[in-house]
Amino acid sequence: MNSAFRDIILMKEYTLLKAVALAIVVQMIGFHLMATMGYIQLNPKTFYWGAMIFGGFIFGIGMVLAAGCASGTTYRVGEGMMGSFVALLGLMIGGLVTSGGALIDLKSYLQPTEGALKAITTTDLGVDPGDLLREGNANLTLANVFGLDPWIFVVIIAIILLAILIWKRGGEETKTEGTTYEKIFKMGWNWWLTGIAIGIVGIIAFLAFKKYALGISGGWFSFLDALITGDPEKLNWFTFLVIGVVIGAAIAAGIAGEFKLRAPNARRLLQQFIGGLVMGIGAVIGTACNIGHILSGVPQLALSSILGGMFIVLGCWVAAYIMFMRG
Amino acid sequence: MNSDVKPTETLDVRGEVCPYPDVKTQKKVKKMKSGEILEVLLDYPLSAERMPRSIEKMGHEILKTEKTGTGEWRILIKIK
Repeated sequence: MNSAFRDIILMKEYTLLKAVALAIVVQMIGFHLMATMGYIQLNPKTFYWGAMIFGGFIFGIGMVLAAGCASGTTYRVGEGMMGSFVALLGLMIGGLVTSGGALIDLKSYLQPTEGALKAITTTDLGVDPGDLLREGNANLTLANVFGLDPWIFVVIIAIILLAILIWKRGGEETKTEGTTYEKIFKMGWNWWLTGIAIGIVGIIAFLAFKKYALGISGGWFSFLDALITGDPEKLNWFTFLVIGVVIGAAIAAGIAGEFKLRAPNARRLLQQFIGGLVMGIGAVIGTACNIGHILSGVPQLALSSILGGMFIVLGCWVAAYIMFMRG
Repeated sequence: MNSDVKPTETLDVRGEVCPYPDVKTQKKVKKMKSGEILEVLLDYPLSAERMPRSIEKMGHEILKTEKTGTGEWRILIKIK
């Protein structure tokens, strides 16, 4: 997803962005359908505006330095890339340092326990209003800020995004030759197939986990936390998710004949480590990485994720401009 | 390798991950003269798929994309 945003300014390449937009639409409809039917409760993240802006922005910078966001780094580890492995180590360290270590004061300053903006209405979140939630205790979404039915926003946003996607559909050639097996495992997927697939994975994840859909960085933080403390209770849904991604990527790369242990030069390794470190700090301060915000939070219409996501993209653009476009 | 075209220059970006292979190739291509051939060696799958596309968009010709080993590619570009 780093590439999706970076390449907009770097190469005027929108293919990956289209897949992301479609995945958001699919999930937005899916999440709200399931919430309306009572299968899940939407769980938008708390709106700490300072944390979203700062955390999101440095996360965006970090993912360009690390040459991949948290999820990109994760699957590249599975493909045998040592630069991403080093970035991953940085990510885990940066995260734990911020959530419970030397940088914890910065985190508590930007995520005040009191005074975070909350919405007054709770019924439109798909939660039972009689349930533990008091007035003014719901995390902000586009819907409850305006006191409107979330479906109004779901329908409007879906129509706008789909219209743009259909209008801009041409441009990239579709590869048609090859067997079905080759198409699935050896070639890059069409953007719309990818978008729908990711969307469906997100919906299944939310149904299975109940509390949230997809997230990557949190899984790695608890992985290292569990290793250090020796407490298996620290392992969570996201940990198994990221381990699954590494194994899945390794298998897929093996089938495609692309698995290979490889490493960039020393300077790039250091750069990727620092990038990972910055991403880890940003993900904990901003309460999620790009997957947790843009892919899982935005479809829930969470204001926190919309703001955090915007600043992740902004940080990414600023870093990409400085690193690749000048000179 | 039995290739009939002889590359003018070779750019080895093996070990580099996205976007370095793409960016370095673009920069190299801009410095080269019309008609020259650039050979790019890379081992990053996504770049092997996307770099030729962006180079073609710039107007240059992709003479050949061949897989030279496990996760390794050799791409020949003719400068316009």
